[in-house]
Parts: sequence; C-alpha cells; structure tokens
Amino acid sequence: MTLVTARELWREYSQGGVAALAGVSLDIQTGEFVALLGRSGSGKSTLLNLLGGLDRPTRGRILVAERDLATLGARELSLYRRTTVGFIFQSFNLVPTLPAWENVALPLVFAGVPRVQRRRAALEMLDKVGLGARGDHRPSQMSGGEQQRVAIARALANRPRLLLCDEPTGNLDSATSAQIMALITDAHRSGASLVMVTHDPELARRHAGRILRMADGRIVEESRGGA
Amino acid sequence: MNLRGMIWLALEGLLRKKGRNFLTTSGVFIGVFALTLIVSLGQGLSRAVTSTVSGTDNLRQVGLTGGFGIELSNDPSEIEIAGEMDDARRERLRRAAVNRRQIRQVAGRRANAIDDRTITELSKLPHVESIAPVIVERYEMKLNGHESPATLSYGVDVGRRRYADRVIAGSYFSGPAAPEAIVHEYLLYRWGMLTDGDYAAVIGRKVKLKTIQTELTPEQQAPPMLQDFMRDLTDEERKAMNTLLPKLLKQLGQTTQRRAAEREFTVVGVLREQMPGDPFNVIEDGNAVQADLFLPQETARELFLASAVNIELGYPRALVTVTDAEFAPEVEQALRDKGYTAFSVASALKQIESVLLMITVSISFLTGIALIVSTLGIVNTMITSVIERTREIGIFKAVGATNGQVMTVFLCESALIGLVGGLLGLALAALAMIPGDLLAVRLINEKAAIPFDQPVFVLPLWLMVAGPALGTGTAILAAILPARRAARIDPVRALRHD
Repeated sequence: MTLVTARELWREYSQGGVAALAGVSLDIQTGEFVALLGRSGSGKSTLLNLLGGLDRPTRGRILVAERDLATLGARELSLYRRTTVGFIFQSFNLVPTLPAWENVALPLVFAGVPRVQRRRAALEMLDKVGLGARGDHRPSQMSGGEQQRVAIARALANRPRLLLCDEPTGNLDSATSAQIMALITDAHRSGASLVMVTHDPELARRHAGRILRMADGRIVEESRGGA
Repeated sequence: MNLRGMIWLALEGLLRKKGRNFLTTSGVFIGVFALTLIVSLGQGLSRAVTSTVSGTDNLRQVGLTGGFGIELSNDPSEIEIAGEMDDARRERLRRAAVNRRQIRQVAGRRANAIDDRTITELSKLPHVESIAPVIVERYEMKLNGHESPATLSYGVDVGRRRYADRVIAGSYFSGPAAPEAIVHEYLLYRWGMLTDGDYAAVIGRKVKLKTIQTELTPEQQAPPMLQDFMRDLTDEERKAMNTLLPKLLKQLGQTTQRRAAEREFTVVGVLREQMPGDPFNVIEDGNAVQADLFLPQETARELFLASAVNIELGYPRALVTVTDAEFAPEVEQALRDKGYTAFSVASALKQIESVLLMITVSISFLTGIALIVSTLGIVNTMITSVIERTREIGIFKAVGATNGQVMTVFLCESALIGLVGGLLGLALAALAMIPGDLLAVRLINEKAAIPFDQPVFVLPLWLMVAGPALGTGTAILAAILPARRAARIDPVRALRHD
C-alpha cells in the first residue's frame, strides 16, 4: 500500500532564486524504511519538511495517507502533523525548561488529552526507551543520547504512521548512535513507515530498505539497502 | 481545545522568568489598585450622602417658596431697543432691559403668593399627595414674667412623632388645633431656667403671643382691582397715587386693615434640641431649627391668619409631599414652571450624585493611564518572550499545535499576568481601605458639623469582579499582537533558530 506519493515537487525560495527541490517524484510504501543521502544543501531536509507538513511545496503534488499536503490549510496541516507524523531531529529539540515526561507529553497537550492521562502515557513511552525512572529530569540533566531517547518517545507519543528522522545520530558518538538506531528500527518494526535523512552511507545501508541519493534538489540515484 | 493544557504551558513559561514577569505584573497591579480605590471612594461617598438623607420622608418632599415674580415670557429676543445708536450701546441697553424686565414684583406682595387658594390649586398637580403651609412667624411673647420681643414660632404637624420624641418635660400636643404650646429648652436656658423644677414651674402656665405690628402701605390696603391698576403706572404716577390713596380709601369708607392678633395658650411641654441620630427632614425641619416656640399646626395657622398683613402676603413657605420619591424632581419642575421657587432633596441628591460620578469617572480615566502604561509593559514582555521562545514555538508546531493553540498559550500567559496583577491590586486596595476609612472619617469629623461614621470606601461585589477582570482584559488585549506574531512563526525556520 502506498503511503506517500510525490509528483514533480518543487520548493523555491523567493522568485527566481535557488530551488531547494527541483522536481522530485517518489513513492513510499507503508512499512518502508527510506534513507535520504546527500551532502548538505542537496535538498534532503527540505523534502523531509514537506513530507512532515512543516513546509509546503511551491509546485507539485504530495499525497500522504490520502491527504494532499499542498492544498491543506494551516490548521489542517497542524492536525496532520499531530496525528500522522513524528519528528526526530539532530539537535533533539526538547523544551529545556520542561521535565522529560512533559516533553514527551507535548503532542498530547495539543491533542487535548487531560494531564493525568498525559503523564501516564508519557511515562509509558519513556519506559519503552529505557528512561522510565527519569521522567522528572530536565533535558539539561541528561546526556545527548538520553535526550534523543526522550525525543524519540515524544515522536512516538501520538503513534504516527510516518516517522521522519533528520540526522538522528548526527550529534552522538558511535556507541550511543547504535542504541538510538536500535530504538528507531524498533519503531519501524512495530509498523511505522520511516524516512531518515543522513549523510552517512554506511548507516543508510545498514538500516534502510531503500536509499535515495540526492543532489541539487533532485533524486539522482536509487539503491536497495541492506535491511 | 484543551485550554487547561495551554494554561499549564503558559504558567510554566511565566515561572521561567519570574523577575521580569513580576515587574510586568506590578504595572497591572498598580493600575487596578488605584482604580479600585477611586471607584470605591466614589461609591462610598455617594452611598454616604444618600443614606444621610434617605431616611424619613426626605426624598418625597419638595419645599415651596413664593415666587419672586419672575415673568415666564421674558424672552430676550422680543426686546427691541429703538433709536439710532451703535451696536455696542444697543447691546448694552438691550441687556439692561432684559435685566429689568425679569423681575417684576409689586411692592410688598409676591407675584406668586402661597395662600389657601393656590394651595388647593397646586394640590391638583400630578403626583402631589398633599401641600401643607409652613407657618413660621415671630411674635411678642410673655411667659411667667419673662418677655421676648420677637420669638420665632413654628407650627408642628401634630401627626409627626418626631417632635413628640423630643419632649423632655411635660407632654406633647393633644390635637392639631389645641390651644397649647411647647417651648424649646434653649429659650428656658436663656431665661436661666435649667432644673426640672424650673421646667415644672413653666408647664401649665399661659403664654401670651401678640402679632408684631407691621404697617401696611396704602397700596397694600387698596382693593385688588386698584392694585392691578397701579402695577402698570410709572414711578411718578405711583408716588402721586400713594399720596392720594389714604384719602381715597377714607372716602370709600374702607377702614385700615391693621388687625393685630393676640392669643393665650397653655404651655404643655419642653422640647429638646435636634441631635444627630434624630430623624431629620431636611426641608420640613429645616424651617424649625431656630424656633423657640412650637404650636400645633392649626393653632399656628389660625394665629397667623389673624393678621391682615399675613393674609395679604400669604404663607412664607409650603411643604409639598409627592406620592413617590421618583416624582419629586418632576413636581419640583412643575412648580418652578408656575413661577414658584421649589427645592427638593431628591433632585439635589441627583445633582450631588452626578457630580460624584463625574469626578469618579474623570479620576478613573487618569488612573487608567497607569493601566495603559502597564499595557505597553505587557506588549514589551510578550514580544521579548515570543522572540526568546521562537524555537519552542517551532517545536509546538512540529508536534501538532495549531496557530490558534500557539496564540492561546501566549494569550493565557498574558491573561495570567493581568489576573494576578488584578487580584493583587484588588487585595491591596481592600487592605488600604481600612486605614483609609479611619483617616477619612477623622478628617470629615474635624470639618463637618454632624458626626459621621459611615465607610467612605465601599467595595461592591461588581467592583471586586470588574477590577481583576479589567486587568485581565487589558493584558489579553496587549498580548494579541505578540501572540499573533508567535502563531505566524514559520516552524522550519523556528526549529533552526538558536
């Protein structure tokens, strides 16, 4: 079953300026693990943002779970992000003043889940990523790996169909990276479709089912991954 | 939308910068504090004034005095100054004519006298319940060997118990036409009588009252037709008429109507002075404050009308009682329209209250400046907060916050600033009212003639709600633009923000 259908996607910044995406077309099947490889500026993060509904294409069509993201209004895009996608960022993007469990519960705040249920659900998610005892710790009291695990717990809190990872191990040492990738592959195994941006070909080969190499806003090469 | 979750986020955001947000709050706090205090003061003063006079029948009474003959048709535009002259002089003369034209009084006689005929007539005005003449008159008085050349007497409406309650020796009147008198304790004091024995010696004695002789002018003695005729004469003609009149009247066989009355009454009691706390009628009892001798209303009236001069001039004043306090100003105006002078506590009260309201509103406006300044502080704080939390806003959006929800978080934050400031302002204002009341009551008592022990600050429930609500409302208004700015932040850029 096709989860994502993108046709001739363009993303241009200002008129006549550089095109971050220049006519990308791709399909992603439900349950697939796709890696986007490329140098910085190749357009892979832009593509990820379009898939996540954080940004809109200037041209082209992008259908995710039967929704045409290019035509959705701001409010509908918000609802799409809330219900369908989960983000994992290179820099974790946790709210520094909130304890771990409240960071994990953030999507549930906007979904209107009452506080008691939010806390229960958040602690459950933290338990799954091995941080069950650290719910009340603030991000500043945690290591980079632990912070990324909190971020993963947050991304999974809404049980998204599409998990989008932007260099999830970019700020971590290799041992910690392995733990994080293990959690991400776990999520993939339990049913989420996955798109991961990385510039590490080795990482892509090891975990992804399909690898798309990008350059100058286009997909220039498609190959099978090892997974 | 789960508002409680947004409020949690807002609260968390506020607590992050306690110092800065406390300072911002203090702006609202000072504004609401001052505003609450001012409005409470206005409320308190207005209530104090009302409760001071709203007892007894004060608000239902209208004081009526004979008009001073002001003509109703004194439209200045009707006056024409003839002859050739420059505009300035014409204006001066026109002014002079207007001034002279307004007051037209026949010597010694009010143009609008109050007599039994006019009382019957005025009683037919709508909403008038009754009109009673006020009998205040000076008499030569003899009592127990003491004499007084001009004692002021007052006719008491015997039905009113206010006077009965002030009798400190002897008894009250037995009826409205009884040949009885009550003397004031001050009169007895002036005669050196202070003990119970002194009082007992007076009670039961006869008091003799005699009309003070007043000459009538020849014109006043003339028949009404002749008086009307003389009204339009020139000064010279009138002077000649006054010389001729006595002879003319003699010729016509009309004797001089100089009838002096003399009566004897039995003293039945002694009345004490009116004190604060006694029921007091501003209009009715105001006539009696200087009286030394009190007579039943009918008795006083009979004596009063025994004098030809009094018949001629009419009663000095009358007391109009209206069916309901709300009609007092209307009746007052109707009497004025008929050329009388009228005064009612109800309309005076209305004026005082509108002045108080005006003062309260204008000071409130000034105080409102404090709130406006605090609004600017809030705008500043919120803009700073939005900029500082750009990345956080990006995170909110990435996890599915709508623009409305982002806006709500910031509006809640500001509303909390306003609410806390407003509640603090209200609380401190309520506290400040305690010493404020003590101080104000002391100051008023130093200056005022009557003891005053009412609260000067009154904090009604509506104000308790309105103060904090105003603080919260202003804060929310102040946050609208910053919150909109937060809502419009582009999440992609925000997430890359440092």
